[in-house]
Amino acid sequence: MDLIETFIVETPNDEVGAKTTRMLIQDTIADLSLTRAIGRLKVYVDPELPLFIFVALLRLGAPSIKVKDFAKVEMGALGKDEVRILVEQETHIGKLQNKLWAKYGKDNIEQPDRKIFIVKTDPFKDMDMLREMVIEEPKQEVLDRLIDAIALRIIPEGFRVRKHELTNDYVIFVASENTLKPEWIAKGKEILDFLRREDHA
Amino acid sequence: MLEPMMYIGGAYKHSQLIELVEDLGGYILQKNIMQSEVVILMLVPINDLTIVETKSKELLGKLTRAPLSGSEIATIAPTLAYHHLPHLDCDVAEFLRKQGAKTNMIGLARGVGKRICEISAFERDLINEHDIAVFILGNYKHCIIEKSKKLYEGIEIPIVVTGAPELNTEEVPNATAYVGSFGRILHHMRHAEELRTLDKLSDVIGKVLDNVRVELAKDPPSVAPPRIKKEIEEQIPDIIDNLHPLPITLQMNGVRVKLPYKEYHEQIENIKFVEGVTMKEVARILPSKMRDFILIKALPKSETGFVI
Repeated sequence: MDLIETFIVETPNDEVGAKTTRMLIQDTIADLSLTRAIGRLKVYVDPELPLFIFVALLRLGAPSIKVKDFAKVEMGALGKDEVRILVEQETHIGKLQNKLWAKYGKDNIEQPDRKIFIVKTDPFKDMDMLREMVIEEPKQEVLDRLIDAIALRIIPEGFRVRKHELTNDYVIFVASENTLKPEWIAKGKEILDFLRREDHA
Repeated sequence: MLEPMMYIGGAYKHSQLIELVEDLGGYILQKNIMQSEVVILMLVPINDLTIVETKSKELLGKLTRAPLSGSEIATIAPTLAYHHLPHLDCDVAEFLRKQGAKTNMIGLARGVGKRICEISAFERDLINEHDIAVFILGNYKHCIIEKSKKLYEGIEIPIVVTGAPELNTEEVPNATAYVGSFGRILHHMRHAEELRTLDKLSDVIGKVLDNVRVELAKDPPSVAPPRIKKEIEEQIPDIIDNLHPLPITLQMNGVRVKLPYKEYHEQIENIKFVEGVTMKEVARILPSKMRDFILIKALPKSETGFVI
């Protein structure tokens, strides 16, 4: 838990509730291995309104992995409609193979060697596209898990009216049982500013 | 007066203990053999307890009081979503089961929220079929109090509520008892402190059940539930092939029989006791809300005028 620099759960007039909620968030974050993805975190709960605000600054890091990052994409044999992909890092072979199979069908992929793929397609049309093809998106995966954690596990179930903002840098979730008031959403923004100030301090 | 007891010991020669209890006029409620260990839940006549204790010492087993045995408890979560399950609810249900109770887990359809929570007529009837309802609520004092005002409407059995804050029972409306230090916990309860909390819960439920027993003793059922169980086992052979867990589940003043109502209710109504009465004279045989099972509720002495 040390990785999260700020971790505050605030509840007016209910310290026990805040403590239990803090434990609940810790459990969820640990379960979904999100510790590294969250930099700073503040939760404000007011059960009397009722209102639940969850704000976090994210540290998503790792960019998406494209074919050109780990393989050479070149023309196939002369006179044939082929693209040759020479993989340099073995770790990605499985995922690349699945992507190619899904896109072109098993019949159109040959694999004479473990690290060589021959794709039967028009090289002039597809070569650039294959270079830029995204094999893995760690960021998206983390965001999916984050939404799972916040929306499906942390925010109490009864809080069904929700508004959220999700970017690569931060997430704001405002939830309530009743219609959301503009000042509640503004409070979410305030908390975000507070966390940002902490970040710069 | 029968005392609910639990015996834990080796499987070797445990049948001697069973025979002894039966000879003394007690009842075996449940027997679980797990590899070489056996756990027996039984009702022992209180005057003969020392004889059973001596026997269990001789067999090198452990005999403890199991106040929850012979009861059916409903553990109720506001819904069956990840917020409540699996950890806390299953922990509570399993812990009570270890103490001898039969627990059923119930997830309400619309039990969430403070303002929007609701309980349907079906759910209410289903819960009322049990001996005790344990409501597992969340973290905030305000929510627990507000929710308690309306969620338990129409529930006639004792209600035990759990939650995070330490409240007095009087502060929680409509509750028979309240146990704190629970709340919405998303991990398996295994730390010493958490296990103590579970112990506290089973103590509280034990006390509530003892009160129910005292109330029942004022106007005792015409036939003891273990007796109903015994007669069904002897007179309806189909129950032996029943694959449901605990095909005859004991309750404080009746039993639940896990056989289809339509096919079997007449057979059960006509069960004969050696005293010369039939089942329908001493008990009500009703269709249960749980699947198509049969619910048998013993009639009180004030209605029949005798106890067998």
